[in-house]
Amino acid sequence: MIAVWKRELQSYYYTPVGYVFMGVFLTISSILFYMQILKQRSSDLMTFIGQMSYLWMLLSPVLTMRLLAEERQKKTDQLLLTSPVSLPGIVLGKYLAAMTVMLLTVLCTFAFVGIVAIYGQVYPGELFVGYLGFILEGCAFLALDLCLSGCAHNPVTAALMAFGANFALWIMDLLVDVVSISQISDALEFLSLYGRNEPFLMGQLSFASIMYDLSFIAALLALTIHSLDSRRWRGA
Amino acid sequence: MIELIKATKRYGNNEAVKDLSFSAPSGQIVGLLGQNGAGKTTTLNMLTGYFPPTSGQVLVDGMDMLKQPRECKRRIGYLPERPPLYDEMTVTDYLKFVCRLREVKASAIDAHIKEIMQECGLKEVAQRLLGSLSKGYRQRVGVAQAMCGNPPILVLDEPTVGLDPRQVVEIRELMRHLGESHTVIFSSHILSEIQQLCQRVVILHKGRLIREADMSELTASEDVIRLQAIIVGRKAQLLPALKGLNCVRRVKVLPDPEPGLTQVELECNARGNDRGDPATQLFRLLCAMDAPLRMLMPVRDSLEEVFLRATSEN
Repeated sequence: MIAVWKRELQSYYYTPVGYVFMGVFLTISSILFYMQILKQRSSDLMTFIGQMSYLWMLLSPVLTMRLLAEERQKKTDQLLLTSPVSLPGIVLGKYLAAMTVMLLTVLCTFAFVGIVAIYGQVYPGELFVGYLGFILEGCAFLALDLCLSGCAHNPVTAALMAFGANFALWIMDLLVDVVSISQISDALEFLSLYGRNEPFLMGQLSFASIMYDLSFIAALLALTIHSLDSRRWRGA
Repeated sequence: MIELIKATKRYGNNEAVKDLSFSAPSGQIVGLLGQNGAGKTTTLNMLTGYFPPTSGQVLVDGMDMLKQPRECKRRIGYLPERPPLYDEMTVTDYLKFVCRLREVKASAIDAHIKEIMQECGLKEVAQRLLGSLSKGYRQRVGVAQAMCGNPPILVLDEPTVGLDPRQVVEIRELMRHLGESHTVIFSSHILSEIQQLCQRVVILHKGRLIREADMSELTASEDVIRLQAIIVGRKAQLLPALKGLNCVRRVKVLPDPEPGLTQVELECNARGNDRGDPATQLFRLLCAMDAPLRMLMPVRDSLEEVFLRATSEN
């Protein structure tokens, strides 16, 4: 698993993918920071973090698209699957590599926090909870998109499927307020990843949300492993 | 020792391999022969644990691939049809990665890679990106990758396809060399390659096993032997006499190598009769005729003939 993790991490920085992801993320978040904080002379980091978390939806497919789909397309999975590594080890190694790049990027955003801390007031507890939700949401999107990468035949399809799924989740979130049938809107609210992030943004350490995010991630990783295994049995 | 027992692989309704059993004893080079689409790649993918058979078993040194996948896979190095290379990595980085995958001790990796690169002739491209290598080098890196971690069994899928003649010779040399210390299973549709390298041949046709035999067994037909002879003398005189030998079934006249010499191929009953085996009888006859024998050698079936006969029967 560590070998897989290390290779994927290297590969992010041997190819432009890692730089593109970090570059685009930090550029857009800088613009948001300027508009939200600097221009408004506000120190409201929670709103800013809430806006940044929409970037996961756009950018998580960049990290995940190649992970499994390219192995399949270039048949390099033959090396992994005939080596003494278990399938969960492979999937987890890849997931952790994507997560590492994501966390490095999150680390860079502490620069924004530093600026606010110098000129304004930062509440550590609130900030911690905000970041926790931010990171959990990112991890959830990575798990979802990794799973789709495992289903796709090539990275482009993987990226399109991942964008589609991410947007579907977003639209689900929008529908919560529109749908008048309460059962449906309740169900949508229960499932919505963005909805789950809201308590964090209000500074609440919501265990329900943490559990939801963690089980969302675990379920999707298990599904990824299962779908790869079932494809081996089918031999397709 | 690696065995396949009653393995069947179905892709949907299509049976790629059906009820296939064979084994590769330790220390032998085994060739898997078949036309395109005969099920060679599917067979090798099952042997190496890339996917499990729909039914049946793979045993590596007596261990079941499904029950002890790690133990089994540690013993096998696999070069698939298309070498599994990550184009963005350098040769050295890639081999290091494979060593880590195959659980080579971190302290031993550098020395191990150096040795493998030496053996596969990769020293001059050690720092090149895999994506920039020529086909011949890619194939060699593929072989090197299979050798990482010193697995006792090597499985190579059409290792010489698409290479230029010089590279083909090099890869064959490498395989022969590897065969001295490893069990090697490789597939090919090139008959001469198998004939040159293998001790044992498995012939597949439409996903079924049609022959499994040692090379020597396979190319010797049981009841007929053929002798090729060059004899000093005239055809008119020799041919009736040769046909008169009762162990000879048929005489085929071959082009004369020089004037005054006759070259023939005799198809004889292998068991001979009370007057001795066919070669002895021929020798006695020619002595009596005062027709000196310049050359006498047994002709073995080429693998090509065995293969064509076997595949056309099925």
